[in-house]
Order: sequence, then structure tokens, then C-alpha cells
Amino acid sequence: MLSVEQVSRTFNHKQAGLIDVSFSVEEGEIIGILGTSGCGKSTLLRVLSGLDKEYTGKFSLEKEDVGMMFQEPRLMPWLTVEQNVAFGLKGDQKAIVHELLDTVGLSGFEKHYPKDLSGGMSQRTAIARALVTEPEVLLLDEPFSAVDAFTKMQLQELLLSIWKKKNTTMLLVTHDIDEALYLCDRILILKGQPGVLAEVLTIKQSKPRDRTDPDLASIKAEILHVLDLRETAS
Amino acid sequence: MLEQSNRALKLVQLNKVKTASKKPRSNRRLLLGSILPVSLVILWEAASNMGIIEAHLLPAPSAIIASLYQMVLEGTLWGHLGSTLTRVFAGFFIGTFAAIIIGSLVGYLKIIEELVDPIIQALRSIPSLAWVPLFILWMGIGETSKVTLISVGVFFPVYLNMVAGIRGVDRKLIEVGKIYGFTSFQIVRRIILPASLPSFLTGIRSGLGLGWMFVVAAEIMGASKGLGYLLIVGQNTYSPDTIIGSILLFAILGKLTDWFLKVIEERSLRWQDSLANQH
Repeated sequence: MLSVEQVSRTFNHKQAGLIDVSFSVEEGEIIGILGTSGCGKSTLLRVLSGLDKEYTGKFSLEKEDVGMMFQEPRLMPWLTVEQNVAFGLKGDQKAIVHELLDTVGLSGFEKHYPKDLSGGMSQRTAIARALVTEPEVLLLDEPFSAVDAFTKMQLQELLLSIWKKKNTTMLLVTHDIDEALYLCDRILILKGQPGVLAEVLTIKQSKPRDRTDPDLASIKAEILHVLDLRETAS
Repeated sequence: MLEQSNRALKLVQLNKVKTASKKPRSNRRLLLGSILPVSLVILWEAASNMGIIEAHLLPAPSAIIASLYQMVLEGTLWGHLGSTLTRVFAGFFIGTFAAIIIGSLVGYLKIIEELVDPIIQALRSIPSLAWVPLFILWMGIGETSKVTLISVGVFFPVYLNMVAGIRGVDRKLIEVGKIYGFTSFQIVRRIILPASLPSFLTGIRSGLGLGWMFVVAAEIMGASKGLGYLLIVGQNTYSPDTIIGSILLFAILGKLTDWFLKVIEERSLRWQDSLANQH
């Protein structure tokens, strides 16, 4: 449903960004994009979401079909939770907003302002806002890297439950290998500066997975090997 | 003795903790804030009655009130109040309106900023009272020159805050709008304007303050009505009660209008995560 062909976008005289990245995504797949910092993971999402237009190459994705979630919640502080979720909607569609707030577990907080929310609740609101336009692809840019470990696990569960319910296709940029192993069907590993696609790993285990599964641990070792981090990371 | 006062202090602190919640706090603030002015007025009245202060320099508060009341009875006070208020409001609205339009364009469009901002900054460095003779020469000493002068005074603080507010809008929030395919107009209306509202409100409050300052200047320069005119009348007729009376009215009106804007500010900025909004 999404194919990316030889997309390149470089900065600083080709010292950063990404080069010649090609891959395709099936409907309902959760794709993880892993890599050390500066290898162009976030740049890839910015290109796909239409925020960055200075790229070369092609991809098949219309702007209207994209939902995006950032590292920070990026809620409008002057809008209530309910109004924030409805931010991208045209016209008044209360029903869908309330259904989503229910899905992300925020019923009862409709009238709260972002200043009264915890970090996890803010990200839940942001998830609901990204889903409200019913996007074909949900782009997630390190969405849980700023919350604590327990909130992170809860949000990962939430993401899985949404995937089960709606079969949403997701592209998840992360630097957390465990997160990628827990959520993704395939993991793309970017490497270098500018980044190139170094490896694609398929994870066959069915979701939800056991976080302590030894098979996942061996895939983790493989990823660390690809990233050349084995010595420093273990 | 010492122990007693310590105990009293503790009681005060206890009361502080108790009254820190909700309503009683505003009553307490009102009470504490009025202790000094009220005692000063009582002292002043007493000193005047005992002849310590000479009445031809500083009349007693009661004498000032009496002379204001006299003007109310004669029906002249409302005319003065009315023309001053009209001038301030007209100047305030014209200045604010111009500042919103120009400030938004300068804040949002780089090219307009490069074109317009240097000359505005240059004009800003002219002390605004220096405009007075020119405006009188151009527009006479009628209402037009006065309102223009006040508008000029109001314009700059509103303009500066408007531009700073728009500049300060988080780029990350604007990206959210771009994800949803908002047009430039939608981004301005739904993200940039609400996000720069706090700064704009600060701007119009200081703009209004300057408006009051300039109305005095405008009316002292030449007017046949208004509180500033009363100041001059008081000076020429050796009546300090009229002068102090109009100063008092300026203070009251300035405070009331500022309070009005402050209420609007608090109402519309309830979402802000600020010290003032702590519960």
C-alpha cells in the first residue's frame, strides 16, 4: 500500500540525512525504523508526512492519508483535550472524537486543558488527534521517548490495541530496540551519516508478544551486531 | 510580652494558610492593600484640619471631594469626563487596530518585516510628545490631532508585542497544522493568533496606559474640555483642589480601564500554565 523508492534527503553537504532508501509496506503492517542518531530516521518521516519537500525519489502516499505523532505531544495549550483531538477535523464530528477519547482511555477528561495533563495523558491525546482523520498510515516519530518506563509500556499496549481494532498501518521511528521488537512486524535498520538502509529484519512472532521471549533476545543481538554496538551496549 | 506577640504571629500565619484557599484570599488582599492608602488619607485630613498643611497648596481630601461634587451638581464634570474618555477610546481603538494589522503582517511575512520594520523602529525612537507641534500644525487643535497623538502612543507597545508574540509561536505547533494540510490563512487563524494572544493582551494593556498618558499631553496643549483641561484651569485659577481632583479622576479611570482589560486577560488565558493560574 505504501512504496518508497530511492528517497534521498541530505543536509550539511551530505553529512546528514538519508540516501536511496527503498522499501514497501503492506496494509496493517507495523514497520519499525531503527538507527543511531543522525542517520535520518526522523527525516524519513518528515519527508513521508509532507513536512519536508526537499527530497528526491518517489513514494506513494497522499498527504490526506497521513496521521503523525511526534516525540512531544504538541497539543495546542489553548484548546481542551476534546478540541485538541478534533483539531484536524473539518466540521463538527463529536461522535468520532468521543469514541477515540474512549479508546485512548481519556473519557472524562474532555474539558481539561493540556496544562492539567500528565505526560502520558498528553501523549494519549496526541494519539487520538493523529487517528481522528482516520489516516491510512500512522507515522510515529519516537512517540514514547519522553515518558517514563511504565507509561511507555502502557502506551505501547494502547498502540497495539488500536492496531488490533483498526488494523492501522504504522511506521514507528524509535531508538528503543525493545520497543521495536515488541511492536513491529518488520524492522528497517538505517546506518551511517547520511543513513542508508542497512538491513531489514522480519519478526514472525504473533502480537501481543512476551517482552522476555528469548527468540526476541536473539533478534536483539542481531540488531546490535548490525548496528555495531555489541561491545558498548551489552 | 514577647511570647504573646509570637503567639499572635503564629495565629497570623495560621490564618494565612487557611485563607490561602479560594475566596477569602481576595478579601484579605483588598484589606491589606487598603491599609496604607486609607491611613494616609486620614492623616492628611487630620493634618489639614489642624492647619499643618497649608490649604492653598494642598487642600484637605474633604475639600477636594467637595469641589468635585460641586462640579457634579453644576453638571460640568460629565462633559469633561466624557470628552477625555472619548479621546482615549478613539485613540486606543485606532492605534490598536493599526498595530494588529501591521504587526500581524510584519510578524508573519519576512518581506514585509524587512520593508516596514526599520522605519517603524526609527519612528519609535522619536519621543512621542515631539509630534505634538507637528500634529497641531497639520490638523489644528481640534479632536483629530488629539486622537492621532493618542493613537501614536497606543500603536507602539501593541505593535511590538504583537510582532514578538507572532515571532515566538512554537514552530512545532505550526507543523501540526501543516500535517492536516491547513492553508496559510488557517494556520494564522487557528494556531498563530491564539498562540500570540498572551503577548497581544500584554501589549494592549501597556498601550492603554500610554493612551492615558498621551491624553493628558494632548489636553494640556489646548482643549476646552476634558480632565487635562481641568488641570490647566486649576493651575490658572490657583485652585489646587481642581488639580488634585482631576489627578484623582485620572487615577480612577486609568485603574478601572486597566482592571477591565485585566479581567479579559484572565478570562481568555485560563489555559496558560503560569504562576497566576496555580490553584
